[in-house]
Amino acid sequence: MSERIAVSVTVNGEAVEREVEPRLLLADFIRHELGLHGTHVGCEQGVCGMCTVLVEGQPVKSCLMLAPQVDGLSVQTVESLAPGEELHPLQQAFRSAHALQCGYCTPAFLMTAYAIGERGVALDREAIREELAGVLCRCTGYQNIVDAVERYLGERGAGR
Amino acid sequence: MKPPPFAYVRAASVEEAVAKLREWEGEARLLAGGQSLVPLLNMRLARPACVVDVNRVEGLDGVHEEDGVVRIGALVRHATLELSPVIAATLPLLARMVRFVGDRQVRLRGTLGGSLAHADPTGELPLAAVALGATVTARGPGGIRELSAGELLEGPYATSLAGDEMITQVAFPARAGTVGAFAEVTRRHGDFAVLAVAAVGEPGADGAWRSVRIALGGVAGRPFHAAEASALAAGTHLEPDVVAAIGEACAGAAEPYSDIRASAEYRRHLIPVYVARVLAELARHRLEAAL
Repeated sequence: MSERIAVSVTVNGEAVEREVEPRLLLADFIRHELGLHGTHVGCEQGVCGMCTVLVEGQPVKSCLMLAPQVDGLSVQTVESLAPGEELHPLQQAFRSAHALQCGYCTPAFLMTAYAIGERGVALDREAIREELAGVLCRCTGYQNIVDAVERYLGERGAGR
Repeated sequence: MKPPPFAYVRAASVEEAVAKLREWEGEARLLAGGQSLVPLLNMRLARPACVVDVNRVEGLDGVHEEDGVVRIGALVRHATLELSPVIAATLPLLARMVRFVGDRQVRLRGTLGGSLAHADPTGELPLAAVALGATVTARGPGGIRELSAGELLEGPYATSLAGDEMITQVAFPARAGTVGAFAEVTRRHGDFAVLAVAAVGEPGADGAWRSVRIALGGVAGRPFHAAEASALAAGTHLEPDVVAAIGEACAGAAEPYSDIRASAEYRRHLIPVYVARVLAELARHRLEAAL
């Protein structure tokens, strides 16, 4: 009934091919097939946003996409931000602003905030909060996360 | 949880999607944005034998206005409506309401056609379709048919679509010269609505209101146009006693239910309160439009 089907996808710039069951969620494809454990899984029903990754540059909840849906597309996970030893400026902003405690939600916030930066539009604090509303954090109370994203977007704008 | 096994088909055209629906005889589900269907799959509340992915179907992602009608393809994502200059100019109420759907990630994936087909009684877009008098085009094996949003939405998560029909387009009358207002109650930011109220109306030169349409979501099995209540607004200046009568009529037309978010009694209590707020907003927007 559910024959395995071929999926070709570019993940963090690298072409990968796998044969998967159609019901495999993108989040599980990323974690179990590709071993990229930076993408976390929380509720598996699209509420918590932990599993947010970029598909074609747009933030999506990877528990709400099937792996076959990304065939031919590009996916970007948190592992792409700092391939070497040095933190990405966004990660550095999170570190400086003390924007994480347990860290479970951090990859999702990073990818959501990274997409805001790539859009290149100036956002006030209220708009940043709205853009981040799809990711939950149970530790920080969000203030420091918004601080970090505001700082990153400010630095990014200044550097251009 | 994880979805149960199913077959997966990527449809290249509306014809192919409809043919697959027919082939699977009601056991197939269309996958558009997936922001409602995939949670249902994950929780195993939906167990289709086949999932027909329509995301690669071409020609269903346009937003065009012509001769006073705004035609929106079924696969137009919420975020596209949110940012579309055409929608901002012709259907500002829709542009406003779509911002209340889910969150950024959900709005980037979710589609207008999918939202209407899902028929969530608390959904903002089904409510907008009812309030703004939208016409839905559906394609089946026998051809296309058009139905009003009220005819489409039958009850909680139920539409009048046949198992082998697919929504292809939603047409809204452009609302030039009208003003709109919207409010909803949620337990948390971005959560499903406990109650939602939308209203549009045409302010006459003499200050009296014409063509007022008030629609309510979350207080019956489906969003509905409160026709009798709306008629009470005609020719009035929405004086306090008129607003009170409209609120009462709206509450009378509702069939509120109890669920995890609110009791039926609380929902009934909220109706006149929020109808009054939305009508006050309507009056404010008229003043702003006149400036």
